Amino acid sequence: MSDHDATPDPMDKAYAQAEAVLNDDAARAARRARVLAAVAREPAAPAAPSLPPRRSAWGRGGWLAAASVAGLSVFLATQVYSPASNRQRPAPPATAVPAPPTPGIAAPGIAASPAPAARAPSQAAPALTVARRAATPSSPDPARAAPSPAPQIAPAPGPPPAVSAGPSTEVSELVVVTGERVPAPAASLAVRSSPGSPAERSTRLRDAAAAGRTAEVTALLASGAPVDAPDDEGETALMKAIQADQPAAAALLRRRGASLERKNHAGVSARDMAMSLGDAELHHALGLDP
Amino acid sequence: MEPDAADDADLLRAHGAGDPHAFARLYDRYDRPCFQFIRRLLGAAHGDAAEDLHQETWIAISKTAAAFDPGKASFPAWLFTIARHKTWDHFRRQKVAVLSSAQDDAAMMVPDPGQTPLEQVQSRELAQEIISPVEALPLEQRGVFVMFAQAGLSLEEIAQVTGVTVETAKSRLRYARAKLRQSLAGERSAYV
Repeated sequence: MSDHDATPDPMDKAYAQAEAVLNDDAARAARRARVLAAVAREPAAPAAPSLPPRRSAWGRGGWLAAASVAGLSVFLATQVYSPASNRQRPAPPATAVPAPPTPGIAAPGIAASPAPAARAPSQAAPALTVARRAATPSSPDPARAAPSPAPQIAPAPGPPPAVSAGPSTEVSELVVVTGERVPAPAASLAVRSSPGSPAERSTRLRDAAAAGRTAEVTALLASGAPVDAPDDEGETALMKAIQADQPAAAALLRRRGASLERKNHAGVSARDMAMSLGDAELHHALGLDP
Repeated sequence: MEPDAADDADLLRAHGAGDPHAFARLYDRYDRPCFQFIRRLLGAAHGDAAEDLHQETWIAISKTAAAFDPGKASFPAWLFTIARHKTWDHFRRQKVAVLSSAQDDAAMMVPDPGQTPLEQVQSRELAQEIISPVEALPLEQRGVFVMFAQAGLSLEEIAQVTGVTVETAKSRLRYARAKLRQSLAGERSAYV
């Protein structure tokens, strides 16, 4: 490679001239007004950013509370509804129980709302109102909404789901009416039981991180997938999550010890990637807030 | 593009401190190359999204201004990194297959016909005849060429933006130029 490449070339000049000829000052002025107005509507960059409060489930206490609620739910499911009692007293059809008027509002008493495809009377868990929720209901990004290999959960019968998960949406979380979020436990069990070499699990971990499938990330890590295993380009799951703008997955990987400083083959670290992307939510998730 | 990183950082800080004019000054410095970069990366098929992505880029700059560290990167490098990321995100949303760098480079092993004098580009028709082959370049090469030729980024900055080595950035620039010469030679021998 010669140093000539780094010097201006007649081709460069021709292109620059072409852009100048095609420049539309009126369009540029209109664009300027639109962009600056949009920036003015957005909160300016503060010296010490005051980001919105994080969801309680992200905190250590939140996770513990959520896990406790989920554990209690499973316990009640196994204690209250044994297989024998279910045979004698089958669950009523879904149509016989009215759905809660508003998702997320706890119904009095005990009731569960599983996905229709996953209903199994023998695994009834009517301790709490639980609704399935698509992993990225508000995101149009197909990368985030990519079909998930995460297995379906099989909770108890009860009212119809408060939030219906379509056939093409990923189910990776359960939303408990207490407002806490917990990762789908069945995904963890299925990943643990699925075969796969360490290399395969590492690949799946990177894929799950890039797609924001936090439940699968959790399960793969629990199954022994190394958190910082790189691909052929030296990129780790954390780097994939950052590049795909998946703050939840990135935060999860960081909590599990993923390195921000490890570099890919181009010498770029996860920290460099995050800083270069300029995503406040991502920075917050990674603890990179100034 | 003037590599005035300190001033850029000052303007960002002033913006964060509430100076209503600082951001406009910064925008006026870089809006044209930034928009053209996004527009050329998108190409004719996705050109309609350029305005939105350009706006999203500047909003991201505004919202994360406090994270900018002039000691790590120049402002143009940071700006183009975000613009490139927004464009790639768009392609991902639209499920546009982006060729990998290796495929780009392998596809562009073309002989360089060498440099010949270029006439002045004065008419819109002539300009479009140059722009079209630029937009036909593989994405990575296109990005490197536009950042170097129009935005004035150094190869080091381009390598930083695209996450590759300087040698790789240099290689992509060379392939882009060679391909453009080849394309233009086929259309209008007067250019090359």
